[in-house]
Amino acid sequence: MIRMRHVWPIATNTVREAIRNKVLYALLFFAVGVIGVAVVIASLSYVEGQRIIQDIGLASIRLFSLGIAVFVGVGLIHGEVERRTIYTILSKPLSRSEFLVGKYLGLLMTVWLQLACMMIAFVAVSLATGAPLSGGHVAALGLLGMELVVIVALATFFSAFTSPLLASLFTLGIWGAGHLSRDLYALGQQSGNESFAGASTWMYRLLPDLEAFNVSVQAVHGLPIATSELTLPILYAVGYAVALLIAAGWIFQGRDLK
Amino acid sequence: MRNDLKPNQPLSEAQRPDDFRSRKAIRRAWRRRGLAGLAFCCALALVGVVQAQIPPLTRADRGEAFVPDPSIIERITLGFDAVLSDYYWLVAIQAVGGSAAVDANAGGHVGQLIDVVTTLNPWVGHPYRFAAVWLTESEENVRTANRLLERGINHHPEEWRNRFYLGFNLFYYLMEYESAAEQIQAASGLPGAPAYLPRLVARLRSETAEIDVAEAFLIELVQGTDDPVLQEGYRAGLDEIEIERKARFLDEARKIYRDRRGQDIATVESLREGPNPVLVGLPSPEPDSLPVALSRQSRWLLDDEQDEIVSSFYGSRYRLHFDAVSRAKANGWAAARQEGTLHAEERGSL
Repeated sequence: MIRMRHVWPIATNTVREAIRNKVLYALLFFAVGVIGVAVVIASLSYVEGQRIIQDIGLASIRLFSLGIAVFVGVGLIHGEVERRTIYTILSKPLSRSEFLVGKYLGLLMTVWLQLACMMIAFVAVSLATGAPLSGGHVAALGLLGMELVVIVALATFFSAFTSPLLASLFTLGIWGAGHLSRDLYALGQQSGNESFAGASTWMYRLLPDLEAFNVSVQAVHGLPIATSELTLPILYAVGYAVALLIAAGWIFQGRDLK
Repeated sequence: MRNDLKPNQPLSEAQRPDDFRSRKAIRRAWRRRGLAGLAFCCALALVGVVQAQIPPLTRADRGEAFVPDPSIIERITLGFDAVLSDYYWLVAIQAVGGSAAVDANAGGHVGQLIDVVTTLNPWVGHPYRFAAVWLTESEENVRTANRLLERGINHHPEEWRNRFYLGFNLFYYLMEYESAAEQIQAASGLPGAPAYLPRLVARLRSETAEIDVAEAFLIELVQGTDDPVLQEGYRAGLDEIEIERKARFLDEARKIYRDRRGQDIATVESLREGPNPVLVGLPSPEPDSLPVALSRQSRWLLDDEQDEIVSSFYGSRYRLHFDAVSRAKANGWAAARQEGTLHAEERGSL
């Protein structure tokens, strides 16, 4: 049973701890820099410059959000163990699962905070260059926020039982595989081999379908985005993250923290 | 300590005063810094010299071998399709550069790049027409451009310009008039399409008014591009059409002359000479847009070989294509197609 009155202090403390991390600011600085530099890159094309500015802006938000989620997220639990502060925390009437969920929510809030900063830079550059902004952009950035729900859950899951280096490698690996999962599924279906098709279907079900959260192209080109393209990925992200956190909780319960 | 010292005896290292030792340390530190600086300069010089030997080839210069297969790259973009598409679009612009025309090989390279661009992000707009403008140096290039335009039509069914460019390619380079008419007809019903497109369709279907069709296409192409080199080429075509119209006017006058006099003209000047002349004056044999300072003092001539009136400004009559190079190209492709068909028929009969 997760009690929010126990989780919330951990989460807020995690935010306070994370925003003191210099890596966070370095990544945020680069993200905002790339969004600004997009104006210069777009000037190399004599047409469709506004589209290029927004493509680069959304891509850099996606890339740097991933960077922040992975490189800041994977060290949070390890840091508590290394500083031995985890013993003090867990000596309170607080379960390990609550601690883990608190850490997760704290990191998620931090990443969303950074996402909001990058969004402000993106909107400012779009307005300054006259690039059109629409509801599609809100949908694209909102779904990116939901993709981060899954990525942060992955980072928390791996950091529950392994070192920061391995956790970051595993998270990045699953992120890459998550963007390829649809192709893997299609490959299996086209192969004509039943066992491979079955295996690829299982892989598709197991890996996160991160392409479901990518509507950047539709947003930039003003293409219609169906309601189901928004609601289903949101539900999917929540379900996937909850499943990962439950699994992480099981593993973390049995982990020897000495 | 002081009592142990004897006069005129050199001091040991430990006995020397601190300031002496620190001066030595400072000298040693400066020496180390100097050596490090020298090594830094040497390394910089090495980098400079070596880099000057490496040719600064960009991806655009490296040609087709460095363009990825679109079906592979679209699987490994990891959600960054749009930004990678933009990257290859900038490479395509770089590949064309400021050149007036791209040769057939470079055309293949540009075609591959635009294929990647439009595979990764098929909702782009201009790259389809960019391909149509630049892929004209071989029949294969034109057909590649047409395939890309068809992809553009699939993703932008409301965009009349993609159909217009496809129609132009079919008419101008491939001489497939019926297919061209179909595309222009489809374009004419789309939002923003110019009002003259239905007339263009009628002319294409009649196959009798090639210059009217070419003129209409060229006027639209001049208006549709900001590239001064391309505009100049299209305007040159319009100038040639203007002279062709004048020559056709003189052809009519020549017929009247024959009917009246029962004989052909000796020179083009005969049309305005003698009693009851057919014409009061001859039209200018040079384009109206030509500045007086650039006039070549051209004249109307009677080409004995072709038995037709020509302006000395061009030396020949207009045959659909707006310049000799593209005319030769289209004729060559048509001949190759014809030859290919004959060979196929021969193979079939065997």
